[in-house]
Amino acid sequence: MIGSLRAAAPLLLVGLACAGAARQGSDPRGRVRALAEAGRLPEAEAAARAGGPPLAVPLGEVLLLRGRLSAAESSFRAALGAGLPDRRSAEAALAELAERWGDHGEARRRAAALAAQYERDGARWSAEDKTAAARAYVVLGAGDPASVRSALRAFDDAVAADSAAMDPRIRLGDLFLDRYNAPDAKATYELALRFAPDQPRVLLGLAKVAIFEGSGAGEALLRRSLAANPALVPAHVLLGQMHLDAEEYDSAAAAGAHAVAIDSAAVEAWALLGATAWLRGDSAGFSRALGQARRATPKPEGFYSAVAEAAAHHRRYAEAAAFGREGIALDSAAPRALGVTGINELRLGDVAQARVHLERAFALDPYHVWYKNTLDLLDQLRGFRTVETRRFRIVAPAGQADLLVGYLGPLLEEAYDSLSARYQYRPTPPIRIELYDRHADFSVRTAGLTGIGALGVSFGNVLAMDAPSARDLGSFNWGSTAWHELTHAFTLGLSAHRVPRWFSEGLSVLEERRTRRGWGAGPSVEFLATFKGGRLLPVSRLNEGFVRPSHPAELGFSYYQASLLCEMIEADWGPKALVAMLMGYRDGLDTPGVFRSVLSLTPDQLANRFDAWLKGRFRVPLGVIAPWDGKGIPGGEFVELLRTARTQVEQGHPGEARAALERAAALFPGYAGPDAPALELARLARERGDLRGAADALARHNALDESAYAANADEAALREQLGDLAGAAAALERMIWISPYDAGLHARLADLADRLGDFPRALRERRAAIAAGPPDVLEARYQLARALLRAGDAPGARRELLRVLEAAPGFEKAQALLLELRGKAPNGRNS
Amino acid sequence: MTTGRFGLALLLGAVAPAAAQSGGATHVLLVTGLSGEPRFAGRFHAAAAAVYDAAKSRWGVADSSLVYLAEDPAQDPARIRGKATRDGIAAALGALARRSAPGDVVLLLLIGHGSGEGPESRLNLPGPDATAADFREWLKPFAGRMMVLVNASSGSGDFLAALAGPERVVVTATRSALERNESLFAEHFARGLVSEAGDADKDGRVTVLEAFTYARREVAREYETTQRLMTEHAQVSDSVLARTVAFGTAPLPSDPRVAQLIGERRGLEAQVDALRRRKGAMDSLAYERELERLLLDIAAKTAAIHAAEGRKP
Repeated sequence: MIGSLRAAAPLLLVGLACAGAARQGSDPRGRVRALAEAGRLPEAEAAARAGGPPLAVPLGEVLLLRGRLSAAESSFRAALGAGLPDRRSAEAALAELAERWGDHGEARRRAAALAAQYERDGARWSAEDKTAAARAYVVLGAGDPASVRSALRAFDDAVAADSAAMDPRIRLGDLFLDRYNAPDAKATYELALRFAPDQPRVLLGLAKVAIFEGSGAGEALLRRSLAANPALVPAHVLLGQMHLDAEEYDSAAAAGAHAVAIDSAAVEAWALLGATAWLRGDSAGFSRALGQARRATPKPEGFYSAVAEAAAHHRRYAEAAAFGREGIALDSAAPRALGVTGINELRLGDVAQARVHLERAFALDPYHVWYKNTLDLLDQLRGFRTVETRRFRIVAPAGQADLLVGYLGPLLEEAYDSLSARYQYRPTPPIRIELYDRHADFSVRTAGLTGIGALGVSFGNVLAMDAPSARDLGSFNWGSTAWHELTHAFTLGLSAHRVPRWFSEGLSVLEERRTRRGWGAGPSVEFLATFKGGRLLPVSRLNEGFVRPSHPAELGFSYYQASLLCEMIEADWGPKALVAMLMGYRDGLDTPGVFRSVLSLTPDQLANRFDAWLKGRFRVPLGVIAPWDGKGIPGGEFVELLRTARTQVEQGHPGEARAALERAAALFPGYAGPDAPALELARLARERGDLRGAADALARHNALDESAYAANADEAALREQLGDLAGAAAALERMIWISPYDAGLHARLADLADRLGDFPRALRERRAAIAAGPPDVLEARYQLARALLRAGDAPGARRELLRVLEAAPGFEKAQALLLELRGKAPNGRNS
Repeated sequence: MTTGRFGLALLLGAVAPAAAQSGGATHVLLVTGLSGEPRFAGRFHAAAAAVYDAAKSRWGVADSSLVYLAEDPAQDPARIRGKATRDGIAAALGALARRSAPGDVVLLLLIGHGSGEGPESRLNLPGPDATAADFREWLKPFAGRMMVLVNASSGSGDFLAALAGPERVVVTATRSALERNESLFAEHFARGLVSEAGDADKDGRVTVLEAFTYARREVAREYETTQRLMTEHAQVSDSVLARTVAFGTAPLPSDPRVAQLIGERRGLEAQVDALRRRKGAMDSLAYERELERLLLDIAAKTAAIHAAEGRKP
């Protein structure tokens, strides 16, 4: 049943008919609504009251916006009793109000009656009445997919009846967005915006979509929305949530306070205040907010769900699940509470319980994209294989598990030992790490949707990441990604999940860098040019670069910048300072407090010191890179040298090109971009037959670029040609951390290891070659038997040979080895 | 088409590897059609040349029975005998039909781009194309020969229905004429046919089915590795027959001692085969002991054969 419902979800993808121009409020009801849309609520209320009983419905709507729910209810009832023309809107509003109060029975009774009327003779209804019917269907939609479809149809009918009607368009967009269907929501809002370019609720909807998609345009849209309607409570709440995500608690609280001043019954606003208080450790503030939410509704499930979502945004997954369960206790049929609980249980690794909650949420709200995607993913996970190591539980696609675990298992164990020594903290095993062979699956695991840009995520003791096959070859290093995510498990655990994003990411990148030469982010021309242009985020606002980057490159800059800040702190205050900072967060200090207590500096003082440190660290390259405002491409002597080199190559002057490249490399030796001087120097060296020079140039590049598959392949070939077997093996080893799927690469590394007398490594590589699926499986297994013998495991070699020869008795090389083994066995037959 | 796939499924059971062919001679006709682009010309030629070299040096195919026709004979005059035109193919097949005798094996490998559908499915050539209906006519004189027709071109799928028949194995790179995107099958099939990697059971011979299985697997892997949707699905008309036709069979030895040893070894191999079939009903330790005994005996026979032939072990 679940499967069929989930399959039905794409039905949501309906279109909207085009409509005419937007309508202004020219009649008394329209005037009240126009005032309300402009945020002039007192004037709107006065106008509605002045209009007397015929304006009971607009009055009720304004009263709702002002949080006076009982008065609003009376007004709607009056409209119903008087049989006013807009009585159906009153009926819909009463159903919604009952739903808001948690009285599902009353809500459904009213909504069902209205829907039944609509189904009887709705064809002749006005657009407003059809919108009322659609609202009734939305109320009925909890647990009833047919009603959601009916709501969509009724909204469409309303638009068809009056193409200028904005309300059905906006509500339709909201319906999509509530179910995480951002693409359809966006299309709906954008269409609406054509008719009313400054409609505040449409702008708010688009702001939500932009934030949802991480486009960076959300804040500007939100500001436009608030400019058009300063009393739009959901916009204030969204603004507060953005502040909260950036850990700007004062601003979040201010936005929440502003919202409840307008609408004291806004549960979402109280939830914002409650979440802010909770994240600050202000239990009294949290209780106050909860109490106010209870006054607004006897079953404030939404309060708990919203706080759970805020907790999850701050990586407090256990608490998020606990808040979600509080919501379920109040209303066991609330999809949002069930969903947020299930999602966070999944993040905590409790797959079975998560499935229970998500399936209930999905049964109630089958069009919710996150629930559907996540349940689909859980179905897919059944085909994955779980491999246990000493302290890890590695979950990978069955066909890749043997190959990936052979490398990842030892790396993770090494990382655990290294990190636990550095941070004096040991996360409780087992740590679960999931690898997804499709990026879309990893994306769903992380955010419920496809298309997020990250490579990995850490929920604490549960990590998820792209398998190397999930991305194009050479686009990332899966070893450094795993190390990065595991570092989060330490920093989150040590800080009780209170470490801010910038610090956690900074430490993870720093740990990548010191793990293996070349791993982790390095400096780019753009980064240094941005720094020189004074456009890097200041230390005090570094978190913004992660939660709401103002331009696409800012996220990447922030990772690197944060890692440098951590590096400076470690260099100047010692490694213990980093641990002390994490413990400061654990103990409830905020970032300025942590700086003060551990570093004895204010944020501004630290920012100044960091600025000076950066200038020192990159003194030479900063001297040859021009300040950059983000427009066009950066300039300066370094860039000019690269350009000159290109021109000289094109004009057939390799000597001059080489001189320019060598100077560029000397000025900015840490640069490893796609046009890095070392790559071109290697090519030129090879052209003039200087193989050693080419290999050395490639080595310089490969020591800086963790995902240089082709450059490592070239270096391996050159080293082998030069007789440098160890160097060749090292380059092949680096390639495996970029992509381990080439069985030939493993066979080659095995040969090299064998020639170097490194039999354990040869054995590992023979096994990997088989796991990678070689074209000639029996040959690969024969080679494994040989490697086993060379590594001293004669019984293992014999077993392997018997399996090979069982499949291919005529395999002469294997026969010969079997005979050789018999010769070695003490009893002349077998060992 | 369906029959072919069904046959393949049956093979997953326990069909014994038959002592390959009839013992007759092998004849090979290689055709590479219009390339369109230099990169295709290079790839088509590389695949055909690999098969040509194996046929000449390892399969013992007589020069007169080894014909390679290509779009541009100047590309490799040492191997390419003539231009791959419709008339040229007809003439070459006519000559091979006259040269071959019942019991011989004839391999016809077509590489290139295809078009058309059904009997009008065609291999694109300089000048008029050759259709499946043309080949049906041209192959009529080969009655009694074991004909292996491999159309490794894109859009070749309909050749199978048009040409399948008794004493004939038809392999196509695609399952229909509609799979017309660039095909990877030819190079993998050629590699499977001529390399040790294609010799799945390591008996020194590559059957048509082994080469087909190798190619199909490696094509799928290449699509997977490059994260592309697979747009070709190879098919074989008769997998049981395809398992009995092998290339690379060593000539029978003239030394009677060696011939006897080879016979004894075949007997042991047959015992291994019989033992494998009883595996499920046997105690695992007993099975292992018996298997090892037989395998050591086989290995000893091989060593004795090598010694008798004066080869180093």
